[in-house]
Amino acid sequence: MNDYANIWLHRLKWTYLLLVVLTLMTPVIYVMYISFNANGFGANEYVFTMEWYGLIFSDELLIGALRWTLMLAVVVTVVTVPMALLAAKYYKAADNKLFPVFLLLAPLFVPPDILGSALLVFFKNLNFAFIWFGDQMRTSLFDSWFRLSFLTATIGLIIYTIPYSFVVILITMGRYRPEQTEAARACGANGWRAFWDIEFPQIRAGVFSACSFTVILVFNEYTRTSLLKGGFDTFTTVLISQMLNTGMSEQSYAMSALVSFIAIAVIGSIILATMLRAETLSRVARAKAEPVMS
Amino acid sequence: MVLFFALPMAMTVVFSVFERTMFWMEPGFTLFAYENFFFSARLTNFLNSMKYSLISVVICFVFGFPIAVFIRKSLPQVAQHRVVLLFILPFMVSEIIRVFALRPVLQRNGLINSTLMDLGIIDEPITALIYTHTGVVIGEVLSFLPFIVFSGFLAMEAVPKYIFEVCEDFGVGPWRRFVDVILPLAAPGIFAGSVFIFVNGLGVALLPNILGGAGAVNAGLIATQAITALDFPLAMAVSAIMMATLMTLLWIGHRLFDLTKILSPLG
Repeated sequence: MNDYANIWLHRLKWTYLLLVVLTLMTPVIYVMYISFNANGFGANEYVFTMEWYGLIFSDELLIGALRWTLMLAVVVTVVTVPMALLAAKYYKAADNKLFPVFLLLAPLFVPPDILGSALLVFFKNLNFAFIWFGDQMRTSLFDSWFRLSFLTATIGLIIYTIPYSFVVILITMGRYRPEQTEAARACGANGWRAFWDIEFPQIRAGVFSACSFTVILVFNEYTRTSLLKGGFDTFTTVLISQMLNTGMSEQSYAMSALVSFIAIAVIGSIILATMLRAETLSRVARAKAEPVMS
Repeated sequence: MVLFFALPMAMTVVFSVFERTMFWMEPGFTLFAYENFFFSARLTNFLNSMKYSLISVVICFVFGFPIAVFIRKSLPQVAQHRVVLLFILPFMVSEIIRVFALRPVLQRNGLINSTLMDLGIIDEPITALIYTHTGVVIGEVLSFLPFIVFSGFLAMEAVPKYIFEVCEDFGVGPWRRFVDVILPLAAPGIFAGSVFIFVNGLGVALLPNILGGAGAVNAGLIATQAITALDFPLAMAVSAIMMATLMTLLWIGHRLFDLTKILSPLG
């Protein structure tokens, strides 16, 4: 018996699906709820307030961290998304897909603490090797290339975000027919124009989604960033160090809720935009399919 | 990726046999870090975390995979990706925030206990929900369940819709259909999702750190504690052991199911 034959079974499955999503979101929703309580967590009386949010923006340390996080997010996105796009194009064209699949998806399987530790020790050793090389050449030019810094944090985050961007772009590329590129080339377009004028408009949604995902992932990442960042702080590292040192204060709840609100707003916008676009496209397709009455 | 991912991961083996110094390490050859791991309570903790990660994999599969089947089998093509996006939503909120946020939900006077007590279902708060292995398993399931939905969703691409109709025509029941038809066809995706959950259960230090009690220690936590104690060779030995575990699992998976099939629906 299929689902549509038994509408109640279908509805039951939908209810289960939404219940699982709600369960996954419960901790976040509960944090948002507490963040508006003037009396904080566990209080008998709930008094609505925005006070804790106001305190976040008066915190100099946090604003500085926010600036670093945004900078990191921009740089990582600018590097990661084109690399993921090239990787997806290479993957589509490759005959042997085992090596690209392994290399591009393996970082997903390596836990953050393990990848972070391995990169930390690798960069420290690389830094020593560069300093030694500089000493041999009697120059200080190579001294701080791989000292823990913005650069090492950026590399760590690029490694972390590439698999996500790659998969997102690959999903949109799945709908693109390569014959269109061949047709454009046959009409005299060079490789760049065939990509920019024909292929890119069709995979644009995937590329922009990959950008949004990368920004959110960088914004939320803690373990790798804290191991590789060196002397600066990001939004999440400040938040977590406050949580670890003083426990979950009301301000911590507000900060967590704020980060969650931003992430949900971005993803919500993507879902909404995708739905609207699909609706528009299907309306156009329906209009084209209708017979012309003359 | 080769320079800053494959090479650093391979180098963990080399660094793990270096000699430990006061604040760093120096080139040499010693297996002391491995001795330190295999002949101490760390091995017991590692094996214990393997057991609990396996439990998490089973729970995630039981709760998550039917969702992937439902999305593929029962929803129209255009709606499928949008429904999958719903599972990305919790995943887009920082894992550390989600795990921290579980504390006020699971603790003694938290959401679950106070709701159950208000409803009169329990008289005393349940204390086993947090700072125990159960707390870690709950955290792992809530953190990683979306992955079994994603991988299951991709895996179900290998199961054409007409197969369900054929099974119906032959009067095959849901259990036989699942074991004899869906499971073999969707095996690569299920395996990849399970390995992801298993390895991350072993390696994400955050979960036992925040939700686990005294005995809840996994490989990630051992590596992090070793770095804090400036025992870099031990941290690298743990990383090398984790990589060997991961590679072995992926190799077995590839031999059995050809893991490149996971991305084949995407082109």
